[in-house]
Amino acid sequence: MRLGIVWRTGIAMALIGVLAAGLTGYYGYTESRALLQTAAEQRLLTATRVLARQLSVGLDTASRDALMLAQHPGTIVLLDTWHRQEPEARGSTMAAMFKTILQTRPEYFQMRLIAATDHGAERVRVERSEDGLSRTPEDALREKGHYPFVVETLALPNGAVYVSRASLYPESPRHEGGARPALQVATPVYGPHAQAMGLLVIDIDLDRLFTQLAADLPATLSLYLSNSDGDFLIHPDPKQAFAFDRGQRALIQDAFPETRKLMGAPSEDIQQVVTTQVSNASDQALVAAFVRHRLTGVHNDEGYVIGLGQPLRDVLADADQLGRTSLRIALAFSALAIVLAALLARRLSKPLQQLLRAIREFGHGSHDAPLPLPVLRHDEFGTLARAIDEMQGQIRAQFASLELKQHELDRLASHDTLTGLPNRRLFMDRLTQAMARARRHQSELALLFIDLDNFKDINDNEGHAAGDDVLKLMSQRMTALVREVDTVARLGGDEFIILLDGADDREEITLIAQRMVDVLRQPVIYEGKLLQCGASIGISCFPEDATDMTELIAAADQAMYRAKHSGRNQLCFASSGEENKVRSGP
Amino acid sequence: MASLTPPPRRFVKLRRLLLRLGMSLCLPLLTSLPHTARADTPVLRVLAWPGYVESEVVREFEARHQVRVELTVIDTDEALWQKVTATQGPAFDVFAVNTAELQRYVASNHVQPIDTTRIANIERQQPRFRQTAAIPGLVRPSPHGERVYAIPFTYSAMGLIYDKRQMQVPPSSIHALWDPQWRGKVIAYNGGSHNFSLAAQTLGLTTPFHIPPDQLEPSVTKLIELRRNALGFYTQPEESVHLFVRHKAALMFANYGMQQVHLLRAAGVDVGYVIPREGALAWLDCWAIPRDAHHAALAHAWINHLLDRTASQLLVTRQGLANTVDPVDQRMGGSNLVWLQPVEDAAQRERLWGRIHTGNRLSKVLTP
Repeated sequence: MRLGIVWRTGIAMALIGVLAAGLTGYYGYTESRALLQTAAEQRLLTATRVLARQLSVGLDTASRDALMLAQHPGTIVLLDTWHRQEPEARGSTMAAMFKTILQTRPEYFQMRLIAATDHGAERVRVERSEDGLSRTPEDALREKGHYPFVVETLALPNGAVYVSRASLYPESPRHEGGARPALQVATPVYGPHAQAMGLLVIDIDLDRLFTQLAADLPATLSLYLSNSDGDFLIHPDPKQAFAFDRGQRALIQDAFPETRKLMGAPSEDIQQVVTTQVSNASDQALVAAFVRHRLTGVHNDEGYVIGLGQPLRDVLADADQLGRTSLRIALAFSALAIVLAALLARRLSKPLQQLLRAIREFGHGSHDAPLPLPVLRHDEFGTLARAIDEMQGQIRAQFASLELKQHELDRLASHDTLTGLPNRRLFMDRLTQAMARARRHQSELALLFIDLDNFKDINDNEGHAAGDDVLKLMSQRMTALVREVDTVARLGGDEFIILLDGADDREEITLIAQRMVDVLRQPVIYEGKLLQCGASIGISCFPEDATDMTELIAAADQAMYRAKHSGRNQLCFASSGEENKVRSGP
Repeated sequence: MASLTPPPRRFVKLRRLLLRLGMSLCLPLLTSLPHTARADTPVLRVLAWPGYVESEVVREFEARHQVRVELTVIDTDEALWQKVTATQGPAFDVFAVNTAELQRYVASNHVQPIDTTRIANIERQQPRFRQTAAIPGLVRPSPHGERVYAIPFTYSAMGLIYDKRQMQVPPSSIHALWDPQWRGKVIAYNGGSHNFSLAAQTLGLTTPFHIPPDQLEPSVTKLIELRRNALGFYTQPEESVHLFVRHKAALMFANYGMQQVHLLRAAGVDVGYVIPREGALAWLDCWAIPRDAHHAALAHAWINHLLDRTASQLLVTRQGLANTVDPVDQRMGGSNLVWLQPVEDAAQRERLWGRIHTGNRLSKVLTP
C-alpha cells in the first residue's frame, strides 16, 4: 500500500522527533558525563593538593620542633659538656623533652641528638616501639657519621633544615628485618663559636603520617607517593612500594604514564596531572590525580609526587545514573513525538480529505448541492477551500449560462420564430409520440390542417409587416381555442396544423374546427385598417384515416384543399362520405 | 560501478554520527580482547647485578621467545643468597653469581647442572672461559661424569678509584682507605664478605677468605675504623657515583671495578684506578640456574642470549665491564689478582658487618 503524503509527513515528523529526542539525550549524556568526570577529577586533584599541602604542614611542624630543640641553650650545653657530665644522668632532660614531643606527634617514631664529634655519635635517642617510648641505653647508642643525612645536615648553616630521601628504616632491613618507610628531618646544632656541634633528628614514619593525613578521605581512595625518580614509596599494593630495595623497579611513570610530565628537570609549568589508568579488568580502572610536591624552606635533594586514585567505576556511577535517566527521557519524548505526529497527521488529513471528497463529488456532477468545504478556516486549508468554492461557483455559473443557451437553441430549432409556435419538426415529434400513445391506449387523435385565406392578398397589399402581424394574431387565436395538451404548429407560410390528442368524438372535433373557422374569420385591425382574413381547415383522424404519420398529414392536407376549393372558411374531414362533404361556415 | 559513486552529501554527516555511535559501542569489546592472551605468557624470573641486563637485551629476548622477563637487581651477595634460597614466593629461573659464592649454592644443592650443548654461544667465548674445568668451582664430578654448574659471563677486580685532582700520588695500598688524611673522603662498599676480606688483607692474613676466630675481633675493629674514616657506604654503582660526586670524595673501594670507573668518567670526574699492592679481590660472575627453576629450558636460552653480540657489546660499551667473548682485558693487572673464594662463614660476616654498618661499637658488634 502506498502511503499518502500526510502519513509520510507524519512518519517523517515522528522520526525527526525521535531523532531529536535521541540525539539530545545522547549528547546531553556524553556532555554531562564529561562534566561529571571533570568535576570528579577536579575534586580528586583538590584533595591531592590538600594532601600535599598537609604534608608540607606536617614536615613544617617537624622542622619547627627540630629547630626549637636545636636552638635550645640546654641542647648546646649538653653537647658541649657531654664528656664532663655523669654518664648516668646526662641527657635526661633532653630525653624527657623528646618523650613529650613524641607523645603528641604519633607520626614521629624516633628523635635523636647526634654529636658532630666522635664519628657522629648518638647522644640521646628516644624511640617508639610497641612497648611505648623508651630511651636507648648509652651502650646501645651508635655512630652515624657515615650516614648521608648526618653529613648533609652538618654542612648546613644555622637554622636550616634537612629532609632526607624516604628510605626504609632500619636502614639495613636485610640484616635486622622489619622495615618501615621513613624520612629524617634534621637540623644542625650550632655552638657559640659558630661551629656545628651536632644535629637534631626526627624520624618520621611515612605510613603513619599519611594515614593521619588521609584519615578524612573516603576509604575507596587509594594513596600513592613516589620519590623524584618515580619509585613508589607508598602504594596500595605493598609489593610496589620500595621495590628498589628488593632489587626491582616499580615506577609511577610506568603505572601512570602521564606522570612522566612531573618527572625529570623541575619545571614550573606542570605541577599536577590527572590521568586515567586503564586496566585489564575494567572494574579496576582508576582515575588518579598527581601533584608534584617540592619541599620549600628545607634542604632536600628531591621532591615527591603525591597521588590519589579513585576507581573509575565510582566516578562514573553518577554518569551511569544520568545515562539511564537520559535514556528514559529520550524514550518518553520519542513516544510523545510519535503521538503528536500521529495527531498532527490526522489533523492535516481531515480537511484534506474533506476537500478531496468535495472536489470528487463536484466532479461527479452534483453542482447544485456541493459538499461543505472548510471555508471558515483561517489557515491555508481555508484559503484553498475558499478558492475551490469560488471555482465551483464559477463553474456553476458557466453551466447555468450554457444551459440557458442550449435551451434557447432548442427552442429555436423547434419553434417558429415569428409566432412562437412549434415548427414542423417539433410537431412531427409530438405527432409521433401522440400516435404511439394512441396505439398503446387504442385511443384516437385528430389533425386540423389550416390554411389562411386571403393571406396572400394582405401580404401583397399591406406589406410583409402586416402579414406577419396577421400571422401572429391568428396563431394566438388558434392557441386560445385548444386545450393545453393539444399542439398548434406553423408548418410554413400561412399553413398551420393542430394536433387534437385523444379526440375521438367527431362532433366535438367538428365543434372545435367550426369555432376555429369562426374565430379566424374575425377581421384583424392593422394600423387602423380592418383586414379580412379567414381559414380553410382539413381534418384527418387516426386511426380512421391513416395509421402512418405522413399519410395522416397528407390526408388532412387533401381535406383542407377540398375545403378551400369548396369556398373559403370551410372545414372538411378526410374520410366518410357524409362527413366528407365540406361544411360551410354557419 | 555504482558502489564507487559517493553517497549524497546530506547523508555523510548522519553516517559519521552513526559510525561514531557504533564505534563507541564496539570499541570496549575490541580493546578488551588482547589482554586475555597476555596472561598465559611464561615469565622468566632473572636475578642479576646492576648493569648486567640492559633493557634492549630483555626486549630482544622477550620478542624472540614470546616470554616476559621479570628482572630483579641485587647489589649484595647476601641479598642474592636470600632470594635464591627463599622458600616463599615464585622461584627464580636464572641468576648471576660469582665463582666463590657459587660454591655455597652447589654445596647446598640450590643449583642444577647446565646442559652446555644447549648454549651454542659458548663457542664464541675466549678459550680460557670455555675450559670450565680449569676455573675453580664451576665443575663438580658426578657418577655421570663432570657437571658444569655455571657459565662465565663477566669479571672484574675490586681496585681503588681515586680523584686525580685530590691525590697527586696514586694510592698504592688498601691502607689508604684507613688513612686519616682522607677521613670523610673515603667511600666503601656496604657488603660483609668483601669488607671482611679487605680487613683480612690489611691485617696481613695468609688468605682473606679464611679469618681464624682469634682474628675476628681485630677484623671487626679494623672495619669499625674503616667506618669512622668513611664518608659513606654504597651498594649500587650509581649510588657510589652520586656519593663520590656530591661529597667530592677522594678515594673509593671499587666493588664493581671498571664499571664504576666508567660511570664516574661519564659523570665528568677525573678518576684513576689502581690495583693495590696487596692484590685486588677479583670476581668472575657466571650465570647459574636454581634447582627449582620453573623454566630451565628458557634459562638455557637466556644464558645463550646473554653471550650473544648485543649483550656482550653493551656490557663493554655501556658499563665498562669485560665480557667473555672478547680478548681478555689488559687492565685487569694480571698476576696481582686475588680471585674470590668461598669464605669461612658468609652468614657471620654479613651479620657482623650489618651491626658495624648501623654504627654499633665493638662490644655491641661482638655480642653473640
